[in-house]
Amino acid sequence: MSTPFSPVLLRNRRDSGPLCLEDYCSTGGYEALKATLNKRSPGDVLEMVVEANLRGRGGAGFPAGRKWQSVPKGRGGPKYILPNTDEMEPGTFKDRILVGADPHLVIEGVVLCAYAVQANHGLFFIRPSYEMDAELMEKEVGIARQAGYLGKNILGSGFDFDLVVHRSAGRYICGEASAQINAIAGNRPNPQKGGPRMAVQGLWGRPTVVNNVETLACLPGILQNGARWFKDLALTPTGSGSKLYCVSGPVVRPGCFELPMGAPLRDIVFGQAGGMLPGRSFKACLPGGASTAFLPARHLDVAMDFDALAAIGHRLGTGSIIVFDEDICLVGATLNMINFFARESCGWCTPCREGLPYIGEILRQIESGQGREEYIPLLRRMARNMDYAYCSFAQGAVAPLLGLLDSFEDELREHIARRSCPFGAVVPAPPGKTCATGPVTFGPTPCREGLSCRI
Amino acid sequence: MPDLIIDGRAVTVPAGTPVIEAAQRLGIMIPRFCWHKALKVAGACRMCAVYFLDGPVKGLEMSCSTLALDGMVVDTGHPEAVDFRRWVIELLMVNHPHDCPVCDEGGQCLLQDETISGNHALRRYPGRKRTYRDQDLGPFVAHEMNRCIHCYRCSRFYQDIAGGRDFGPMQIASRVYFGRYEDGRLESPFSGNIVDLCPTGVLTDKTARFKARHWDLERAPSVCPHCSLGCNTTVNARYREVVRIEARANAAVNGYFLCDRGRFSHGFSSLPDRPRKALSRGLETSMEQAVTQLCARLKETAARHGPQALACLSSSRASLETLGALAGLAQSSGWTGPAVFSGPAQAGRTLQATLALSDTRACSLAEVAQADAVLCLGVDPVNEAPMLALALRQAALRGAPVLTADPRPLELPLPFVHLPVHPRDLPACLDALIALAAPAAENAPDALARLLPGYPELWPRLEQAAPALAACRRPLLVWGQAMPGPGLGEAVVRAAEVLSRTKDDCKLMAVLPGPNAYGAALLDKGDRPTWRDVLAGVSAGRIKAVLAVECDLPDPEILGGLEMLAVLDHLPSPIADMAQIFLPTTNLYESGASLVNNEGRLQFARPVQARGLPVSQDGRGGHPPRLYDLGLPGSDPKPAWEILADLQAALGGRGPSHPWEAVAAACPALAHLAPENYPFDGVRVVRHAAAPGLSPGAEAEARDTGPGTGFFSVVRGESLFGSDALGSYSPLARRAAGEPVARLASADALALGLADSDTAVITLDGRSLEIGVRPSPHMPPGVLVLPGHLVLESGTARVGRKKGEGA
Repeated sequence: MSTPFSPVLLRNRRDSGPLCLEDYCSTGGYEALKATLNKRSPGDVLEMVVEANLRGRGGAGFPAGRKWQSVPKGRGGPKYILPNTDEMEPGTFKDRILVGADPHLVIEGVVLCAYAVQANHGLFFIRPSYEMDAELMEKEVGIARQAGYLGKNILGSGFDFDLVVHRSAGRYICGEASAQINAIAGNRPNPQKGGPRMAVQGLWGRPTVVNNVETLACLPGILQNGARWFKDLALTPTGSGSKLYCVSGPVVRPGCFELPMGAPLRDIVFGQAGGMLPGRSFKACLPGGASTAFLPARHLDVAMDFDALAAIGHRLGTGSIIVFDEDICLVGATLNMINFFARESCGWCTPCREGLPYIGEILRQIESGQGREEYIPLLRRMARNMDYAYCSFAQGAVAPLLGLLDSFEDELREHIARRSCPFGAVVPAPPGKTCATGPVTFGPTPCREGLSCRI
Repeated sequence: MPDLIIDGRAVTVPAGTPVIEAAQRLGIMIPRFCWHKALKVAGACRMCAVYFLDGPVKGLEMSCSTLALDGMVVDTGHPEAVDFRRWVIELLMVNHPHDCPVCDEGGQCLLQDETISGNHALRRYPGRKRTYRDQDLGPFVAHEMNRCIHCYRCSRFYQDIAGGRDFGPMQIASRVYFGRYEDGRLESPFSGNIVDLCPTGVLTDKTARFKARHWDLERAPSVCPHCSLGCNTTVNARYREVVRIEARANAAVNGYFLCDRGRFSHGFSSLPDRPRKALSRGLETSMEQAVTQLCARLKETAARHGPQALACLSSSRASLETLGALAGLAQSSGWTGPAVFSGPAQAGRTLQATLALSDTRACSLAEVAQADAVLCLGVDPVNEAPMLALALRQAALRGAPVLTADPRPLELPLPFVHLPVHPRDLPACLDALIALAAPAAENAPDALARLLPGYPELWPRLEQAAPALAACRRPLLVWGQAMPGPGLGEAVVRAAEVLSRTKDDCKLMAVLPGPNAYGAALLDKGDRPTWRDVLAGVSAGRIKAVLAVECDLPDPEILGGLEMLAVLDHLPSPIADMAQIFLPTTNLYESGASLVNNEGRLQFARPVQARGLPVSQDGRGGHPPRLYDLGLPGSDPKPAWEILADLQAALGGRGPSHPWEAVAAACPALAHLAPENYPFDGVRVVRHAAAPGLSPGAEAEARDTGPGTGFFSVVRGESLFGSDALGSYSPLARRAAGEPVARLASADALALGLADSDTAVITLDGRSLEIGVRPSPHMPPGVLVLPGHLVLESGTARVGRKKGEGA
């Protein structure tokens, strides 16, 4: 990096723990809110967000401003904001870092978004294993409410907005917006396609905005410093803002780093994360969580941005880099991820519900040395067919498999030819007991302490 | 109206039609599992993938969730689509057991069809099959989860359409389990539909389990005889025994569904003690002999006492053919009757209802869902006409408020406002509702105080419903015939007049007492005697002989003193036992039957099976007999109209030679239907009120009732199972019905010192009977709900505690 970058979202990250309200205000917190409520019209705020080209950080990268613009104006009934903290993507932990470091930045972002779309209710949808953060948010939301940043007549502006913390039941699919709405309404968290958009008809049939918390946390900066500033933060011409990149795997300093959007992958892995552990060498990485494809070493210089990765046929996803070294069996890694997705499928459509366990079984056979030559075209065909599943979950689930087939087919073939895993990996047993799945037996709900300890 | 091309053929469909349905219009059956016309689109199975060559959608897409649009060019047989569908089948077969030979669905299984037609034969999947533990879902539905392909049809019906809450999907991913939270009978009165909907053998009819292979069944379109709605069914018989009933789609009546009463009450047809032989003074005889003897006895009685001393009885469970032949016989011979209704009140109300249901007012069951406000008066939908409750739910789901004024403690699978008012206040309650529905709602508070002074606790509920009522455009009034007290039917007609002045339309639906009550009313010109009249005549000695055709008197002992009692029936009814001459008849499954439903829709139930003893009962080990030349055992019974025609011929008259001949002669409203076009199915009967002499009989004012008087107004209470005439003979339905109980208001029970499940002594019509009581907080005081089979006609009763019980 040529110019020094000072963090925006994680500027208040301290070793001492979450930033309290006073400290947040002393570093310019809630200034954007004060400068916005009744000073700018909601339309102007939307304009700024569109101009800043803020794209969703939750994985799909949909322009946030355009999503919010499709919320009907008018005040005929409630509208909802769902700040999405159901961070279940393997390898992704940026939302937890963000919320744990600077809860009020998140709250301010949420209120600004609510003002932009004139919503009055927010449900902070958080993964149950983030119990500590849920409790933190509950506490800080109460403090913000007392200080007048939430609740009725915020800062005397006449704008009402309140936020409640809602713990998810803890399933990957609950992070999908329409599934999240079903989950909150007490239904099965099946994604829903067709019909009016959620911005028009979402939770309880009302206009609803679901956005990742990182996306929302960008708002105070945009409104304080302007759209131009936000765009200029990025290193790539089409990118904008900064991004929280997570790095995990055999690197020296795994963690979450805030860098300008479009930072080269090499800088993140070998700069911020300190490079590979001694004796290990970079083989591949998943650039954006487990639902993106393996990125081989030849792409190390790619800019970590939506468009740059799309140009080489990859996805930024959540920007969470999982690194694999030369000693890791990618077949085993793919099998591990497929098993995760097979477990987390909502069970609605056939390709996902039945196809993912099928793929898992084929991979298990290959990994345990029982693979056959015809499994490779079979895997390729099944992975391709996932495009026709009900929602994009299945497509994401087979992304590592497609990466494996595209870039590491030799490794697969070696498994088959040698009739064993060349890395000497222990064959994983078939997950769980496949026999006799019965109806759920309902027990007492675990106490909150129990919940936070156990998960 | 989008125009599109499917497989090279052009089709135009209404906007909003999915491509899968558009293809169906061309006769192209796109493979599907989860898609069903009556259910919301799911897009879950991914089986209906087709290839879009051109137009607004391109490439492979699901035809169920893609709406037909202008310019689409669809190829259902595109190699890519075929390949994808084959893969879906492979996935579904990964875990499906290969137990077709022992599966009840075999032969009518969608998965079997698609697997074979999709040419999936070899298993590539190297892993194990998934297995589940099954549940006991009660006496009607068998559960075999291993066969599940997770199309979600069952739960989409059970939860969304039927409003059931005890069955649905649990868990996620490949562990999704369709079941209940614990073993137990499915609570919904529509649970049997999941058997029809399930495309594989997960949910099968437990009552028909292992009785027949699908291809061996004798099947015929039929009409349900268990309430007045006349839902369409397909009856399946094997070895001369009805083994299974399925819903038959009729968009104008029941749609695709059927209630559990209609589905599981068919046992009456193959009772082991069903009388199948003609009897003369308890001795078996031939049909011809019995008719000859009957003729002689009738002539004798007529000669001694005059023809008026002979009375004919029948009921609304008899077919139109039977009723017509009986009416013709009675008229030509100068006998009394036929009496088909239990008393003047029932006769008058039914007649009044058929007159009120004019061409423009009558509402079909399918049209109920279109109403934007429904007012039910004196009707218990789930227990009197179960499919009405399903239709009401569809209306409620579309936003219609549903208000039910009824003294009985109602339960409905939908959000509704219950107004528990005394039967005598039902007309006033209706007037109050109409006042609220009027556009000038300012009068409403005053109207409530004026019309319903005794029910201040109901005012808030009514006021809350008032805006929706005032805003409605297509209200529907539903009323039943079970309430004591006069004037409800007239009030409903008046209300419809008032409403139709300010609304776009106002429809009426009457729930009638019996599957052919409308048909019975068509014979009635307002001058027919009723059972009550005949029984009074018997007591007074005016009636000396009775010919009873397919009817069940609640209190038959009185007929014991007759000179002559002849019974024609296919059921072992109490009066059949008392008959001096008994002639066995066939039922609708054996000879077919024309029935007129509550809307006035004439429908024909086709014969399904040969008359005769079921093979399972003929004592030869359940195997079809090898001796072919002796005729079928137990095949003496004949259609009642044929026996009556024989009798008329024997009496010296000319009996009808065609089933429709007597009907056309007896019912002016059906006279225009020519016998050569018989049978008639789906004809709406139009009744003209202007016919002279056609006015329902007035009803006497009911006695004052209430806790202070010691008298209770008796209301007939029905139950989902076993309270309809035919169902009460069906062993399975009787078992499902449970113990009959009397219901009364909690406050009344307290005043009488009766607690839940205490036994009460009830004095009614001079009889006294003992029955368990179940108090309800949702009932008005002064009302006693008794099981329908105990009550001839609503009246008043005294209630006391059984001596030696309680404190």
